[in-house]
Amino acid sequence: MADIARTAPPETRRKARPLWLRILRNPGGAIGAALVLALVLSALSAPWLAPFDPTKMAAGRPLTAPGAAHLLGTDELGRDVLSRILFGARLTLQIGAIAVGISLVLGLVTGLSAAHFGGWPERILMRATDVLFSFTETLIALAFVAVLGPSLTNAMVAVGVAAVPFYARTAYATALGEVAKPYYEGAIAAGAGHMRLILRHLLPNVLPTMIVVATLGLSNAILAAAALGFLGLGAQPPQPEWGYMLSAGRDFMNRAPWLMLYPGLAIALTVFAFNILGDALREALDPRSEGR
Amino acid sequence: MLSYLSKRLAMGLATILIATVAVTLLIHLVPGDPVQIMYAQSQGTTPEQLEEIRARLGLDQPIIVQYVQYLGRLLQGDMGVTIRGQQPVADLLMARLPNTLLLAFSAMAIAVAIGLPAGFWAAYKRGTWVDSAVMMTAIAGVSIPHFWLGLVLMFWFAVDLGWLPVAGGGPLALVLPAMTLGLSNAAIVARMTRSSMIDVMEQDFVRTANAKGLPKAVVQSRHVLRSGLIPVVTMMGLQFTYMMGGAIVVENIFAWNGIGRLAIEAIFQRDYPVIQGFILVFATTVVVVMFLLDLVYALLDPRIRRS
Repeated sequence: MADIARTAPPETRRKARPLWLRILRNPGGAIGAALVLALVLSALSAPWLAPFDPTKMAAGRPLTAPGAAHLLGTDELGRDVLSRILFGARLTLQIGAIAVGISLVLGLVTGLSAAHFGGWPERILMRATDVLFSFTETLIALAFVAVLGPSLTNAMVAVGVAAVPFYARTAYATALGEVAKPYYEGAIAAGAGHMRLILRHLLPNVLPTMIVVATLGLSNAILAAAALGFLGLGAQPPQPEWGYMLSAGRDFMNRAPWLMLYPGLAIALTVFAFNILGDALREALDPRSEGR
Repeated sequence: MLSYLSKRLAMGLATILIATVAVTLLIHLVPGDPVQIMYAQSQGTTPEQLEEIRARLGLDQPIIVQYVQYLGRLLQGDMGVTIRGQQPVADLLMARLPNTLLLAFSAMAIAVAIGLPAGFWAAYKRGTWVDSAVMMTAIAGVSIPHFWLGLVLMFWFAVDLGWLPVAGGGPLALVLPAMTLGLSNAAIVARMTRSSMIDVMEQDFVRTANAKGLPKAVVQSRHVLRSGLIPVVTMMGLQFTYMMGGAIVVENIFAWNGIGRLAIEAIFQRDYPVIQGFILVFATTVVVVMFLLDLVYALLDPRIRRS
């Protein structure tokens, strides 16, 4: 009897663990998920967590060093750095979500249509993608900002659009593998329309790959938007955007090094979190890539 | 090999041609009147003067005519003059391009010198603590924004220790910007190298080489490294585009006199002829370097060389 209990049917033992469990079992995935959760929570609860209004000047004496009154110090206008960083988390997540949303939607539309229709639409779409790709993301984003003018919204759009060629290429390459499979031909033979083929058959099969791309893309978008903010081409004062805070703080490098320490740390931790979470997600979805 | 290269060349030329179209359209996509925006900062411009400027920039012509005129002037090396100071844009960009290239290539050398051995070592020691340590460092490295790294290095080496100049020109002033850009990209090179080497290590010919009793060092150097380097060389093109993109930011931190710094100034001053010229020069530089790397790739890879 005991023997029977020990040799439980193999199929129940081998039953695939749910995706989230596979991600959390991976140390990188667990750390990444915890960091992202902390980031989201601090963004959501910033109005209650933050000790001061992030744009309130003279919340303390200008350039107060980190201490009991201001945990991360104050900036040159006496604004509380901790409050600004907490509210900055909101901006950062918003930037990431909107930019990646733009890239993902436009990339999927381009890549899936190219793979599905084939022929001249495929050639035109993918050639255009190739050309845009060699313009590089930085140049496309800069050109966008140069035309539209510097602002946070324009920076989000610029960063999102600039990454479209990359998303389109990945979606196309993944969809191309699906189009060749028998089930797809079967669906065509069964008389499915273009929309149905793309939305019901291609999209669900391409989505796992694209979710990995989007998670890693979040870190890319956050870095790019922070770089624009740093250059003064993104978020404008008094917005508590981390990249802009860094560039404002560099003038006080000598007297107040904390002004360039904490915003930079915030960006690095956020990007790190999405990077390791994305890597864990990729491993969980594609076990062959383990340790790559 | 020739068909491969001519395809690449055609693609590069098409990219540059499309860049010229994009640059002509760019000024028309500006919301509002670009001439008014450009000259908003210079006071006392009369409507007649604005009209004259519009005529000089060719903006009163149909867009096709504008494009043909722009292309014609471009072929003679004329990119127009700056809004402020009326300097020839082409001269301005060409005077600064070598600085950007110097920065980009020095950074690339640093990235390869650190990333390649680190990636190879991690692949060689796959699954050990060496591998984990290198990969954790690499993932931390790609997460650190280069503009932050730049500020930290500046604070440390220039302000605190006083070993290197904060900004300016000259060979010593190159050290910090090149380190900033190189270190951020070393992480990417290490990751790419590692996965490429691991791919090769799992190939049948490596197993055969090991099985016939070749010394490990011979297998690694003659078989793994040589084949594993081919994808790494292809990725150098992508690396170079990262360097050029990163240079724009890094030049602004260290006041390095390259085209990136010029471009950001031009965006702030709404100096569209400079922005147009910058986009063309940047795109052309990337295309040329990519093509040269394709050439190297074709020579390195026997499958392409003999085709």
